[in-house]
Amino acid sequence: MKLAHYARVWLASARYSIIRTMMFRFDFLMWTLVEFFWMSVNILLIGIIYAHTSSIAGWSKYEMLLLVGTAMILQRLVMGLFWSNLFELGRNIRSGQFDFFLCQPGNPIFMVSTRKLDPDGLLNSIVAIAVVVYSAHRLGLHPTILNIALYVLLLFISLIIHYSALLLIVSTTFWIIGTEGIEGGYFNIFEFSRLPREALRGAASLIFVYGLPAVVASNVPASVLIHGFEPMNMLWLAGLAVVWFWLAVWCFRRGLRRYSSASS
Amino acid sequence: MIATLNKYWQSFLVGIQSNIVYRWNFFLRGLFSLTHLIVVVALWSAAYHGHPTIGGFSLGATLTYFVVMLGLQYFIGAFNEDYQISEEIRNGLINQFLLKPINYFAYRFSIFISARTVSGLLILIPVGVAYAFLHHDISLPPESWRLWIGLPALLMSALIQFTIAYCFGLLSFWFLEIQSFIILSYAIETLLGGQMFPLDLMPANLYRISEYLPYFYQMYFPAAIFTGRIATPAQALSGLAIQACWVVALLAIAALLWRRGLRRHTAVGG
Repeated sequence: MKLAHYARVWLASARYSIIRTMMFRFDFLMWTLVEFFWMSVNILLIGIIYAHTSSIAGWSKYEMLLLVGTAMILQRLVMGLFWSNLFELGRNIRSGQFDFFLCQPGNPIFMVSTRKLDPDGLLNSIVAIAVVVYSAHRLGLHPTILNIALYVLLLFISLIIHYSALLLIVSTTFWIIGTEGIEGGYFNIFEFSRLPREALRGAASLIFVYGLPAVVASNVPASVLIHGFEPMNMLWLAGLAVVWFWLAVWCFRRGLRRYSSASS
Repeated sequence: MIATLNKYWQSFLVGIQSNIVYRWNFFLRGLFSLTHLIVVVALWSAAYHGHPTIGGFSLGATLTYFVVMLGLQYFIGAFNEDYQISEEIRNGLINQFLLKPINYFAYRFSIFISARTVSGLLILIPVGVAYAFLHHDISLPPESWRLWIGLPALLMSALIQFTIAYCFGLLSFWFLEIQSFIILSYAIETLLGGQMFPLDLMPANLYRISEYLPYFYQMYFPAAIFTGRIATPAQALSGLAIQACWVVALLAIAALLWRRGLRRHTAVGG
């Protein structure tokens, strides 16, 4: 019953977001272009490097493109589903408008995270999916239905990791008010998601493969398509999702206790 | 003349003070940029594996390029000047400048210089950290002409960076929301300004086209002079001439946008 209630709230927000997007069609077109262009920049980088070399850390050109495509799907979904909401969360904490969300009848984390959708991000996730499909085709992969279902499941788990990291970063605003632009830290951390795990060695591997979740969140789903079922990696990813989500929720709640509104 | 300079000197000093307030913000951004540098080092080290050179340059030369680009970004790059100008237009704060004997471009430019002074000094800490880890790889070519041509190139790059941001800010005279324009332009700058990869790695014909675009002169050009990716003084001087043309063209566009924009401006609020 409660779940159905939240689903209704989310659908109402989605409807509102789509109507709003249709009101600002030019803006929608521009943002779609912006995101599309950013994705092209990343694909071009792969093209330029592989014009001079045949392998990066043992990954061929199209394996790398599949990895980058996977990272892009995740980032587009974050942009489409959560970015605007969590970006505004920081601002709202600073301005005191966060009160508005606390007054709503529902879980504050759900309410602050789902108020808006950005259809441009969601639309571009289709382009990112096309990049993955094209790479898989060029690699001559023939994944089974089960493999594809696993890939989708792992993407969902990775999305939880991405969301948790973003929520965690924005929640620091409860403690340090002057954090304008700190959300950008999300992009810095998840820039690693376009790297093959094997490219990081030594201390960098310790921090960015085993410490922060960016590399694993993209490498594990991509590997399922390329190499098939890898139970240990899947368990690792699921474990990370549980830990990071718990940490983000805990941090948000601790922050909430500190929140004392602002202005008048 | 001195009175005029003094006026903008004062706004520079105020700019220094207000930017020191954001010192942690700049410092954190600089620190975050280190993570970008780690990605760059990991990616390019892996790409160079089994290849002593790529595009005629060693791994060390390529890493030097990226470290110099990181430093330059905080010394001459435009950050949020476009947003600040846009905000001043939208909420009417710009009206006060219309009534005072002050040139808005010069005022904004002096604030820009003060912001880059603060952010430039702060980035020295992360760049120092990067240097400590990469000092075996980092080396700059010793020729003195690189300094004499590189410094004016650097100044003009700063002017180009600021003027492009200024022009985007002025778009607020026509559009309510300019964020998407700015981010689209930023994406183009990232690509054609050489932040993703050294531009000389592009196919030769694309590189030649990029040499005639303003993005080439925003940051890549001085970085390429300092790091040896532009090989001869003759190439550097011809680049400097094209850069000077872009400075003049962009200043003219900025002046035009300002005049046209003011005609549309309705001076609400303030």
